[in-house]
Amino acid sequence: MVISEQGYVHWQGTFVERRFPWWPITRLGIRLAFKRKFFKFVFSISLLPAVMFSTGVYISERLDDFQFMLKGPDRLLEVNPAFFKSYFTSEPLLFLMVMIMVLAGAGLICDDLKYNSLQLYFSRPLRKRDYLLGKMATVFFFLLILTLVPGLLFVLLKLIFAGSFKFLANYPWIPLSVIAFSLLVTLFFAFYTLLISSLSKNRRYVSILLFLVYIFSNVFFGIFYSIFHNPYFCLLSIQCDIQQVGAAFFRESPQYDVPWIYSFLVLAAICGLSAFVLKRKIRGVEVVK
Amino acid sequence: MTMSHNAVRSIFSFFFFIGRKARKTKVFFLISGLPVLVALIIQINRLFAPGSGIDGPAIFSSVIMAFNLQFLILVLALFYGTSICSEELEGKTLTYLTTRPAAKSAIILGKYAAYAAFLILMVAAAVILSFLILNVERVLDLSAWLAMIKALGVLALGLMCYMAFFTLVGTFLKKSILFGLFFSFGWENVVQYFPGSTQKFTIMHYLKSLLPAASTGSAGKLSFLTFKLEPSSAGAAVATLVILTAVFLGLACLVFSKKEYIFED
Amino acid sequence: MTAVIQTKNLSKWYGNVLGLSDVSLEVEQGVTGLLGPNGAGKSTFLKLITGQIKPSIGHVAIQGQDVWNNYPLFGRIGFCPEQDAFYDEMTGWEFMTSLLSLYSFSRADVQSRAEKALDFVELDKDKDRLIRGYSRGMRQRLKLAQAVAHDPEIIILDEPLNGLDPLSKRKVIRLIKDYKEAGKTVIVSSHVLPEIEALTRTIILLHQGKILAQGDIHYIRDLIDKHPHMISVKCSDPRRLASSLISEPSVLNIQFGPAPETVVFETQDRDKFFGLIPRLIVDHRIDVEEITSPDDNLQAVFDYLVGK
Repeated sequence: MVISEQGYVHWQGTFVERRFPWWPITRLGIRLAFKRKFFKFVFSISLLPAVMFSTGVYISERLDDFQFMLKGPDRLLEVNPAFFKSYFTSEPLLFLMVMIMVLAGAGLICDDLKYNSLQLYFSRPLRKRDYLLGKMATVFFFLLILTLVPGLLFVLLKLIFAGSFKFLANYPWIPLSVIAFSLLVTLFFAFYTLLISSLSKNRRYVSILLFLVYIFSNVFFGIFYSIFHNPYFCLLSIQCDIQQVGAAFFRESPQYDVPWIYSFLVLAAICGLSAFVLKRKIRGVEVVK
Repeated sequence: MTMSHNAVRSIFSFFFFIGRKARKTKVFFLISGLPVLVALIIQINRLFAPGSGIDGPAIFSSVIMAFNLQFLILVLALFYGTSICSEELEGKTLTYLTTRPAAKSAIILGKYAAYAAFLILMVAAAVILSFLILNVERVLDLSAWLAMIKALGVLALGLMCYMAFFTLVGTFLKKSILFGLFFSFGWENVVQYFPGSTQKFTIMHYLKSLLPAASTGSAGKLSFLTFKLEPSSAGAAVATLVILTAVFLGLACLVFSKKEYIFED
Repeated sequence: MTAVIQTKNLSKWYGNVLGLSDVSLEVEQGVTGLLGPNGAGKSTFLKLITGQIKPSIGHVAIQGQDVWNNYPLFGRIGFCPEQDAFYDEMTGWEFMTSLLSLYSFSRADVQSRAEKALDFVELDKDKDRLIRGYSRGMRQRLKLAQAVAHDPEIIILDEPLNGLDPLSKRKVIRLIKDYKEAGKTVIVSSHVLPEIEALTRTIILLHQGKILAQGDIHYIRDLIDKHPHMISVKCSDPRRLASSLISEPSVLNIQFGPAPETVVFETQDRDKFFGLIPRLIVDHRIDVEEITSPDDNLQAVFDYLVGK
């Protein structure tokens, strides 16, 4: 008979390397975001544009029934590439995405820097890229709910309400554009958020910077454009850059007479800068000079 | 000098010193210098394209001052005003101040004075530099200088009033930054479009009553700066701003003295 | 002796969580140890007596004056908080001089006090370095320095020995004893019992927000009549000693070991036992090396009181 000692019992299992080592970080980030009371309210509000546009999809198939409600041209309710471009590049949606990042994304890296958690992370079998992937996936979760999910939902609703595949036959590339643009704008905001979150240990400071950089880029574009009337100043504005690229993805004419590739390069440059800064900032040991 | 005055003075020195050294101050100094960069770009463009019809002084009085009035002082006041209480709580350094023989109101007043002082210096430096750059042909014009000094005075008054408000908000709200953002870019921006007396429920109304040139009638991207101003008289505007500043600060001192602050573990 | 610190029915709730419950005590001049495990309410008690938080019920007074919002009182109090928090962008020197300037000392006085305090905690060589670059122990010493630099009458130290190396600990213990000899009042909180034993015999034991015991540690121990005392005897013939005491009614239990040539007696009447031992040693010609009371310490006292 074996008599067991009542003490700490070592685990007898086999260590299996986790296939997605970044997943626990993402799960934690999502859970912490939902713990904030104000976040749930803002997140619900941010779904309003999707709800409105979904209603628009419905009304577009029932125009005769809603004729009495329409005061403007009914072309507004036509579900076409312009409809998708309007949703994805709308100022309220982009602004709400920034607010979601302020609430859910500001603390992603800055809290880890504040509480010296990086040492805890990197003393586990976790690579730097797993850590960053985990943090980015948190941003992806929230922003894809606002972009990819509604976009594909609009396509689906259109097919269901129309009762035919005519929409897809006319615009077969739209689902791909929805996926590509959603991923692009989400990836940009993920890099943007993590860049600013890594700049300070103070969450309040990061929150305000996230908001400030976005708003000020628009303001300065407005100032220069009104003075010089040169559309190339739209490259200064993050919002305009996203709108220019969005127009290209949905094969619509952009608002400003500037090649969309320039806007894309500006966004890519911000992502590149973010990657560079994150590589330097994220390390297990902090060197204090 | 009474003990309170000494305490306020000591705390002022304490935080003026910390504020100068803080990394965030350097960042906000750069941000407040953005209008200077804009002014520089505009002036360089005028030098290389003399027939462009860009009026430097007009841009200074309408665009630069409008940006300072409607964005910069709001952002600076929001961050520094809410920091007065919040950073002591988040950093858990409040204990060092509240276990000294200094009244709690002295802590609020001293810190407020310190932050207001170097924010005013920051904004003043940016405004004077942009003025010099854009008004280079009028640098000997006394009236231009007087107009600039008046505008600077209004900005300083606005900064102090907003800072006092956000100091009050920071003493009792945990999510003071979010509330502040909604107030600054929601309430202050929206309600000023309302007609009649409703405008008077914003601090911005009184500031714009003192600086009507800082709003412009241009459309397009600058349409956010247009409004239907029904201005109050200059005297009433100054008096209201001063009274509001005093009331907000008084309430902040009261709340800070009465409330107990528990650090989050 | 008049009490320096008095509390009456002092209680504190954090929402539904009880921090402190009905604590009525008086702290006199000298060093008082505040003991208890984590979550016992030590920091809550210290925050209440330093006016950081308001009592939910009850009253706290220092030198007869109410503490809450009574800022002139803080000229006489020095507080070393538990949390590791600083203005990281300052140097140690700037931190000390800035805080000292809040006491309305002259500039020269501020500088000399700061120098003296930093010298005592051995931070004089690192005073011009940013606090951000200080080690854990250096930060703890700086906290202590700011608590004592203005030479207060009442010093309240919340876990002051955390993070200190043994030499620094001894130095701090020496300082606290010096303060006692100078007639000051010191309250030291800790969950490490040997630290408090080295500092003082006057203790307040807290557990789950309530006072378990208060007074001299030995007196408290003696009060616990229900629990037997353990006495360990290291001698040349432990078995012979044990056999001579086995029939003694006051001896409840005898154990050998764990150390070699050691026997541990459990007795309900310590005085009678100590009366018997010398006679037995002489009669049986046993060489005794050491007699100790392994449970005459705070851990045992605490365990008995908590009922473990």
